Amino acid sequence: MSIFIDRDTKVCVQGITGKEGSYWTKHMMELGTNVVCGITPGKEGQEVEGLPVYNSVKNAVAKHEIDASMLFVPPKFTMDAVMEALDAGIKKIVTIADGIPLHEMVLIRQAAKEHNAIIVGGNTSGVISPKLAMMGSFPHWIDRVYKKGNIGVMTRSGSLTNEVTAMIVKAGYGVSTLIGIGGDPVPGTRFAEFLNMYENDPETKAVVIIGELGGIMEEEVAEEIAKGAFTKPLVAFLGGRTAPKGQKMGHAGAIVTGGKGSVEDKIRALNGVGALVAERPRLVGTYLEQLGVPKE
Amino acid sequence: MKLYEYQAKQVFEEAGIKIPKSVLIENVDELESALETVGLPCVVKSQVLSGGRGKAGLVVFTPTKEKAVAETTRLFQHDLKIKKILIEEAVNIKQEIYVAFTVDPVEATGLLMVSVEGGVDIEQLAVTQPEKIIKEPIDLRYGLMPFQASQVAYSLGLPEDVSKQLKKLFLQLYNVFKEYDAELVEINPLFVTEDMALIAGDGKLMIDDNSMYRQTKYQKQETDYRTEAEYEASLEGIPFIQFDGDIGLMCAGAGLTTTVYDLIHYEGGTVANYLEFGGPNYKKALKSMEICLKVPSKVILIVTFGTIARADVMAQGIVDAIKQLNPDRPIVTCIRGTNEKEAVETLKSAGLEPIFDTEEAVRKAIQLAKGV
Repeated sequence: MSIFIDRDTKVCVQGITGKEGSYWTKHMMELGTNVVCGITPGKEGQEVEGLPVYNSVKNAVAKHEIDASMLFVPPKFTMDAVMEALDAGIKKIVTIADGIPLHEMVLIRQAAKEHNAIIVGGNTSGVISPKLAMMGSFPHWIDRVYKKGNIGVMTRSGSLTNEVTAMIVKAGYGVSTLIGIGGDPVPGTRFAEFLNMYENDPETKAVVIIGELGGIMEEEVAEEIAKGAFTKPLVAFLGGRTAPKGQKMGHAGAIVTGGKGSVEDKIRALNGVGALVAERPRLVGTYLEQLGVPKE
Repeated sequence: MKLYEYQAKQVFEEAGIKIPKSVLIENVDELESALETVGLPCVVKSQVLSGGRGKAGLVVFTPTKEKAVAETTRLFQHDLKIKKILIEEAVNIKQEIYVAFTVDPVEATGLLMVSVEGGVDIEQLAVTQPEKIIKEPIDLRYGLMPFQASQVAYSLGLPEDVSKQLKKLFLQLYNVFKEYDAELVEINPLFVTEDMALIAGDGKLMIDDNSMYRQTKYQKQETDYRTEAEYEASLEGIPFIQFDGDIGLMCAGAGLTTTVYDLIHYEGGTVANYLEFGGPNYKKALKSMEICLKVPSKVILIVTFGTIARADVMAQGIVDAIKQLNPDRPIVTCIRGTNEKEAVETLKSAGLEPIFDTEEAVRKAIQLAKGV
């Protein structure tokens, strides 16, 4: 088992004929992802990796059953591509675009909520269930990172995820599903909103979150645990403990969140509900062991 | 990108919001004519991007010309390298209001925030008495509706005339928020004067960096940066901060770079600069190293673990950069990720000894920096 994506998930790729799109479609299929077709306006009738290309998502859903859409679309055009997928009735969307304008990302998240859909990203590598399937741009063939196992991983970072996950694997664990929620201030879906899926996945025995200073997503995770909505062991790694105090959001950031968002606040919130926070990537595996998480 | 107060106030004025009479000066000689326009008493306001200017002595009330000259002279000689000072009329204040627009990332809305207890302690108020800050969600598809602006303005217990003006100001400031793709636009304090006028006492406008491609009106100037390296990095869009430690960081990925920064401090080292060449910048190894070499560091530490930012491409870039720039200090590499086998070959062929464990690489860099 896994969450969000497995071998049965039928995926279309928006922007499949682009350089990134065709490159990563090939790797998604190589891993076993069930990619059924691609979409690039004006390219209907062409093929990429043996898959048919359509002018629109609407044309694609007329010919194929599609569960999820993977976007390899530049940030400027991402809102349009998301709206197109939602309009065609697709409920799972992943966008790796780095640089989606803030106000558009707010509209994207709002639209997803109204359509009862889940948007992962932007500014992420996507979602991967190792050895099964992925939507995104992961070097899935690097075994010391993308090993199949029973740890759910959620992250706000890219490279740091590889770093931490390599340590999880080094400790003898593997990953059930890794979700890159992305590094933008307004991600399509937040950490806490995936906890329920991990809770209900029998394969996932524990969850690791890779966070950082700023925002309140780690605090929201602590609230879910406090409410009893998530009951499995949880370990966090948070970057930026020694970072010089930034003033990026000035007053309003602190006012929206009621003064929360520092790494100290996050540690306090998570420790308060029994979750452990690792000081170094290496310690994430050690803490999973301390919490008694089985390796098989 | 954060604008200076004087820039934010220009934007406000164009939007129809009243600002105090003011003159921007760039040296002490310009003060006299500024005072003729503004009058006394006045407020001398350093144009720097950090917050808490009042408490740091960077904004000073000056009742006399002598005091204005003394303060302006002092501020132009300040360590912060203040380039511009705003000489502003002192307004007779009856009350201070807080007004801001930002986004709510959880509810996926815009947000109007207002408090009739504005001023320097607003952050404290947010923690101790959050109910005193009114938050009105805004559907960004429709924008701030006049009825919402009206509802909020008339709910604050202010005189009717003030509420009426405030409603108009909300709509004007929302237009700024929208037109400038703002992360945050804030007026704190918004003065209510003795004769019941509303005047923006301060101004904060932060433009979303992801929207800068369509926000071309305000560009950063060379004088906005502390060092040449910071300016060059900004031209390339490479995130960079200069410190005064020993180890120059040239890493990929914001999270990983921050983590390496943490690890160096845990191990007793110091950082000369933070440079992050991941994401869209992963082919800019040459430029990145050029910038790192402008910083007086003892060693350059390169740590990457990229996916789209391919290891082989970055390794080749680093090797090419070393050949071209012939660096005068040791370089430690820890390059992993997509196509890392090819990356390792490339590094070895250029005589580098790749390390695979981040903590080991950090310790190696600290050793080299300390000359052990």
